[in-house]
Amino acid sequence: MPPIPTRAITIAGFALAVAAMIVLEILARRPGSRIPTVGQWLGYLMRPKIGRVLVLAGWWWLGWHYFAR
Amino acid sequence: MATDPAQARRGHPGRWPWQVARPRRPVQLALLVLICAGLVVYAWVDAGTAPFSGGALVGVLIPGALLGAIAWGRPPERIPPPDELDLLGTSYWMICLAAFFEWEASAWRDNSWPWHPSFTNLIDPLLAPHLIKSAAILVWLLAGWALVRR
Repeated sequence: MPPIPTRAITIAGFALAVAAMIVLEILARRPGSRIPTVGQWLGYLMRPKIGRVLVLAGWWWLGWHYFAR
Repeated sequence: MATDPAQARRGHPGRWPWQVARPRRPVQLALLVLICAGLVVYAWVDAGTAPFSGGALVGVLIPGALLGAIAWGRPPERIPPPDELDLLGTSYWMICLAAFFEWEASAWRDNSWPWHPSFTNLIDPLLAPHLIKSAAILVWLLAGWALVRR
C-alpha cells in the first residue's frame, strides 16, 4: 500500500474540522437544540464592549488577510 | 417544577432564517434589494483589485470603517444575545475550534511547507477565480453586517 502523503493528511484535517463546524451549526438550528449557533455564541462574546471590538476586528482582519493580501 | 425537555424542545422554534423572518413592507423590500445589488457590485469590483495593491487595501478598509462607524455611532436594532450558553453545547464548538487552530498553528510552525500547508495556502488558490472571490467578499460583507446586528 503506498504511503498517504502528509499533504493529504493536512487537507483532511482541515476538511474534517470545517465539516464538523458546519454539522454543529446545522444541529444548533434544530428546534430545542442545546448547542448554540455561531451567531448566538458570537453574540454572547460581544456582550461586553471589548468583546464587540475584538470580534469586529477579527472579522476585518479576515477580510484583509484573504482579500487584500 | 421540572419540565419535560422533549416537550420544551417541541415548543421551541428552530433558528433558520425563514423560521424567524419578519414580514416586510414593499418599500423595505425594494431598499433591501437595492442594498444587496450594491453589495454584489462592490464585491465584484473589489475582487478585481490586485493583491497587495492600494485598491485591495481600500476595498477592505471602506467596509471596515463603515461598519465600525455604524456599530459605534448608530447601531441598528440588535438581536438580543443569550444570557448564558449551554456548557456542553458550547464545548463542542470549543473542541472544533481548538482542533482547527491547533492544526493551523502546527502548519505555521512548520513554515507552511507544501507537505503541511496552512489554511490560507489552501484557500488562496480557491479564491483565484474572480467569481469565487466576489462571492467570498460578499459573504464577508454580509457576515460583517450580521455581526453589527449582534
